[in-house]
Amino acid sequence: MAREDERRARIVAAVTRGGATTRVDQLMQRLCLFAVTELAASGCTLALIVGNELLGTLAGAGRHSSMITDLQFELGEGPCLEAFASGTPVLLPDLGDGVARWPVFAAAAAVPGVRAEFCFPLGVGANRIGVFDLCRDEPGMLSDEQLADALVAADIARDALLYLEDPPGHPGVAALLDVAGVDRIVVHQASGMIAVQLEETPADALARLRAAAFRSGRSIYDIAQDVVERRVRFDG
Amino acid sequence: MGEVSGGHGSPREDGDGARRRERLLARAFVRLADTLSGEFDVVEFLQGLSADSVEIVGAEAASVMLADARGELRLVASSEERMRLLELFEIQSAQGPCLDAFGSGHAVQASGAESRTRWPVFALRASEAGFQALCSVPMRARADIIGALNLFRGSDRPFSDAELEIARAMAQVATIALIQERAIRERGMLAGQLQAALRSRIVIEQAKGMLAEHLSTTVDEAFQLLNRYARDHNRKLTDVARDVVGRKIPHDALARRPETS
Repeated sequence: MAREDERRARIVAAVTRGGATTRVDQLMQRLCLFAVTELAASGCTLALIVGNELLGTLAGAGRHSSMITDLQFELGEGPCLEAFASGTPVLLPDLGDGVARWPVFAAAAAVPGVRAEFCFPLGVGANRIGVFDLCRDEPGMLSDEQLADALVAADIARDALLYLEDPPGHPGVAALLDVAGVDRIVVHQASGMIAVQLEETPADALARLRAAAFRSGRSIYDIAQDVVERRVRFDG
Repeated sequence: MGEVSGGHGSPREDGDGARRRERLLARAFVRLADTLSGEFDVVEFLQGLSADSVEIVGAEAASVMLADARGELRLVASSEERMRLLELFEIQSAQGPCLDAFGSGHAVQASGAESRTRWPVFALRASEAGFQALCSVPMRARADIIGALNLFRGSDRPFSDAELEIARAMAQVATIALIQERAIRERGMLAGQLQAALRSRIVIEQAKGMLAEHLSTTVDEAFQLLNRYARDHNRKLTDVARDVVGRKIPHDALARRPETS
């Protein structure tokens, strides 16, 4: 098998084929495309995570794109959360094998046709910042080459987030957080509002919000939006 | 051991000596490869390198110097007090084998009269401290020279090619371990900062929501209030947000303007 630095060089060459980029957002997008074209993923997402919460998706590609990542955070369970919490990759070549561990997620993911999922945490030691999430519409394990490529692609994404300085006029990491967070921050604002309504912590309020989304079958973001725009209260 | 002044490494070793050296070498390399373990400590690691190289290469004393951020050598570890003082002297007097090895990127050694010609001030001081054969190998990985491993002994018998080869190998593995550890530490630090930035982002949003609910404002207005409070009290926005979420600052306090209250 190729040496790791050669592999890294090859993947960097592949993602910069359309012209070199120092923009974090473009690089993230191309890494996701790489997963779709070279690793036979039907969806790939690069997500920023804090604790058990999805802060935002940096990039996504493929038919299943960010939907499958979103789903796990809406349900509060799935291989992504486990990969992030444990700091080690979670490889699920057959989603059916995940039914015992993540019953709700496994059932929900099968609906749009996801059959396998592979999650790689981004971070160093205990300092983790996100996941590189791949899914497939066919069951089956990644080949050794694909697995090695995915690990290195995740490292490239991590290093880009940690080291890339954006040229003036382009989004830097701070601006990227704004872009990535734009549709999710409302969940945390709503958690704060519910926390005051019920005199509890925002973490408990978030659990309540998540339960409400699950019961109603609506998206957690939609309900959060209703809370922030004062169409829904939790103390009534 | 029975040898005169050279100590451990006699030129012709018997089988036991060779086996012992092999064992020591294996142990040293395992130690050198240990940078990935959680409790890696640079000074302790280099102290170990000094002690190991004394035993394995057959020196009497060893030390490690590393370049600081400005590229100046600093003594980081030494196998004994005598060596430490001598090396500090070398840095002070800007003359000696370590500086040459570090500067040139090549192993350097001299003993007896040759050392006194080469480094008049330093060789004299070394001789007074009891060292006649002086040797230094650079710690380098490709173009990067990060320091030098220094080996001195009391007899004036020069270090053999085999001994130098082992010293080079040890220095090289140590260099790779250190560079790797630096990269891991730096990444870990950056990842920690980014993680903290992401965390504070969530806390700020939660605080906005709490204030907006309590004070019946929009979330944007709540953000203005948070910002103003942080500015007025000369505190970080994240810290204020955390106190709001933890209910350590009464939410009403943010509604009031200091000049009107």
